[in-house]
Amino acid sequence: MADRNLKIFILVAIVLALAAAVLLVQPGDGRKTVVVYTSVDQVYSEPVFRDFENRTGIIVLPVYDVEATKTTGLVNRLIAEKNNPQADVFWSAEFSQMILLKNQSVLARYQSPSAGDIPAQFHDRDGFWTGVGGRGRVFLVNTDLLKPAQYPESVFDMMDPRYPGPSMGIAYPMFGTTATQAAALYSTLGREKAHEFFANLSRKGVRVVDGNSVVKDLVSSGQLSFGLTDTDDACTAIASGNHVAVVVPDQRAGEIGTLVIPDTIALINGAPHPDEGKVFIDYLLSRDTESSLVRSGWIQVPSRDLPEKVPCLNGTTIRPMVVSYQDVFEGIEMTKTDLAEIFIR
Amino acid sequence: MAVPFLSFSVTSRRPGLVSVINTIVLALFLIIVIGPLAGLAVDLARLVLSGTAPAAFASLFSDRRIWLLVQSLLLAAAVAAAGIGTGILVATALWRKPAGITFAVLLMVLALAPVPPYIHALTWSQAIATLNRGLTALGSAPLPATGWTVSFWVEFMAMLPVAIFLSYIALASVDRTLVEAARMVRPDADVLHAIILPLAAPTLSAAFGFLVVLSCTDYSVPSLFGSDTYALDIFSTYSASGSAAGALVAAIPLLIVTLSVMTWCRLGIRRLAQTPNWTAGSWDTPPEFPALIRMAQEGALALLGIQVVVIFMGLVLAAGSLQRIATTVQFSAREIQNSFLVVACTILIALPLALAVSRELLREDRYGSLWWGIILVPLAVPAPLVGIGLISLWNNPAFSPVYGTFLMPVFASVCRFTPFAAVILFVQIRSVDPALFDAARVFSRDTLHTSCRIFLPLLAPGLFVASAVLGALTLGELGATLIVTPPGFGTLAIKIYNYLHYGAAPEVAGLCLVMVTATLLAGLCIVTALLRQRRTPGTIAQISQESIP
Repeated sequence: MADRNLKIFILVAIVLALAAAVLLVQPGDGRKTVVVYTSVDQVYSEPVFRDFENRTGIIVLPVYDVEATKTTGLVNRLIAEKNNPQADVFWSAEFSQMILLKNQSVLARYQSPSAGDIPAQFHDRDGFWTGVGGRGRVFLVNTDLLKPAQYPESVFDMMDPRYPGPSMGIAYPMFGTTATQAAALYSTLGREKAHEFFANLSRKGVRVVDGNSVVKDLVSSGQLSFGLTDTDDACTAIASGNHVAVVVPDQRAGEIGTLVIPDTIALINGAPHPDEGKVFIDYLLSRDTESSLVRSGWIQVPSRDLPEKVPCLNGTTIRPMVVSYQDVFEGIEMTKTDLAEIFIR
Repeated sequence: MAVPFLSFSVTSRRPGLVSVINTIVLALFLIIVIGPLAGLAVDLARLVLSGTAPAAFASLFSDRRIWLLVQSLLLAAAVAAAGIGTGILVATALWRKPAGITFAVLLMVLALAPVPPYIHALTWSQAIATLNRGLTALGSAPLPATGWTVSFWVEFMAMLPVAIFLSYIALASVDRTLVEAARMVRPDADVLHAIILPLAAPTLSAAFGFLVVLSCTDYSVPSLFGSDTYALDIFSTYSASGSAAGALVAAIPLLIVTLSVMTWCRLGIRRLAQTPNWTAGSWDTPPEFPALIRMAQEGALALLGIQVVVIFMGLVLAAGSLQRIATTVQFSAREIQNSFLVVACTILIALPLALAVSRELLREDRYGSLWWGIILVPLAVPAPLVGIGLISLWNNPAFSPVYGTFLMPVFASVCRFTPFAAVILFVQIRSVDPALFDAARVFSRDTLHTSCRIFLPLLAPGLFVASAVLGALTLGELGATLIVTPPGFGTLAIKIYNYLHYGAAPEVAGLCLVMVTATLLAGLCIVTALLRQRRTPGTIAQISQESIP
């Protein structure tokens, strides 16, 4: 009996090894391909890839990032692959990592003709990357726990004694868009004031959780009164029918506005399929694609004047924080190190 | 007159062909498992030699970091101790249950093993919130929703399936004939205390070490409940600097501690002299324990029941209707197929490597100690660093047929999990009477024939168990796979985390149920194989017959 089991085991092993070998050596079907690394959520980026394939016949081979790896995934992969690049295009959900890649000589210059009508602040001054659309940093409020008159209106309201620390939430500010927002605050307020702000939040016992989507989940389930998150997460919570509302902070006269984080797109230096990469970038930066990303719920702050409205914002316009992307990037390492000292103890 | 043959050790004499194959496989192990980590170390050495050592060195032993490390270790040790304690109680409680229930429980805990810790954390977070709403309505004080207590509880619950599985194996390794002899003269409680637990102690301590390592390197559960751990700080360093070498420096204290823990544990496991019977079921005369122990055992079973109910109910309720699960599976068919391909190839590649290494682990000399050190290192390195190391090693034109294929996620899992399989096979080899191996060699006329007819059947139980562990761990692997997955190739774990961020709870739950069901089915096959393989003591006479082609 034992012998028979072993024979079956060996037979299965041989079949699997043959299947793996066939998969390894199978030739391509000759169609053009483009390899796109993206930190944009798969649910939003995948339909864009399918539409591009239908229009151009070029097959998109994507590699997705996930929030769980705390932004250490694709960017570090691109840096590690620098000497033998595998990707053609990087489509990032924010800008600071794109500047890092530019400084690491991972990117190639490409100015897309589709980006002619995108405002100048979305273009890298050296032509390495282009921004489009974006998401804003907003409060997601649980409407069962707070009445409209109690909604916070500024990020600095988080220090207000009206709001107990454990009833508020932010994602760890050393990672992702929360880190970018923290670096923008450091750039705008100066290091001392920004450090004091975050140290106060920590002392107050604000709940620091594992990502913006967790903030959204905890507010939606009533475990938090409100929390800072991205507009796409907030709009997803509203679309799911949760008892929540979006509040765009710091929009009154004299206030700093809220950080708007554009998507950024770049061609990879030494890309294996540079021509297909350029075709994809042209498609992605086109007005039509930006419109479809607004409709799908990924972009809430378009870079162009588009007719599409964002339902979850109820027609509210977002006044962005005036900040230099380059300054934010240059301060981000110091900000993350500083915040790790405050929040990881 | 046969006595001289019996004195040969298992590693003392190897036929030429086997020796050559063994050397080749060991070289492959070093390339696939240790190569990526060596690449990282070389990068680090370059930085140090060039005088641009990462800033992480400067704050390596700051008060904050030392305190974080202490916190993390205390949490991990508490989780491991609670896990092993509960595991012992569950395993001994199962002695009084019918064999069918024992195997059902083991299958259940195996099926929960690949569920990502994050899913445990979210499900428990929701359960605690629901419980607190009820407590508040009744006017009682709510349970803490954040902090070390709840972090410990959820981490303990997340590790409980693995802890029970390992504890069961540890207790199954105790020779029943010794126990039965002791039961003739002493009460069962005394036998448990004075015979069974001391004999199982080496394996239990190894299980404790594994749990400490697993718990130490997981930051997802504690961070959801507001508890900061050293593993999170390593990620923070990596995120801030983008330097893998810097992150490796930050990981050094954790590396030292986990290596020390594992080294201490392996001292016990190396002395292991029992006979693991992986299929040990119920006893002819079940042990009778005092009421206090029985209550503790029932309590432990209830804990397991709570964990199973919370996770399964949470997943089933979130998944919605069967039709919805079917739709989710249909939309994720390619990822499911890819995951199973990766699992199958990981098992195929890791088992021979683990088998070769497990024989080196048997050596009593310094080379044996060196091999123990070598296999312990990958266990303590954070998953994304393993991924970056794999890129350093494989992403060059010479390896272009390999890099960019599905073999890279396979290598990621092989690199991370082969040491587990090696230790399991080491335990299995130790359990077989060396005289049988020696007899097989003495009577051998054909090395291949002897390997297939004697050696592999003797090791089959360990191979099956190692396959199950490799499969479950590979199915849930994310950190390293994400770094090396080829373009256009997604796995189930990546898809789950993508859906998780989007808040697609039904899809996440549906895919987790697919994982659990697949592991259940695989576990069922393995248990069936083990039962059919039920070990019968081999004899030298049988071996002499089998060895003659």
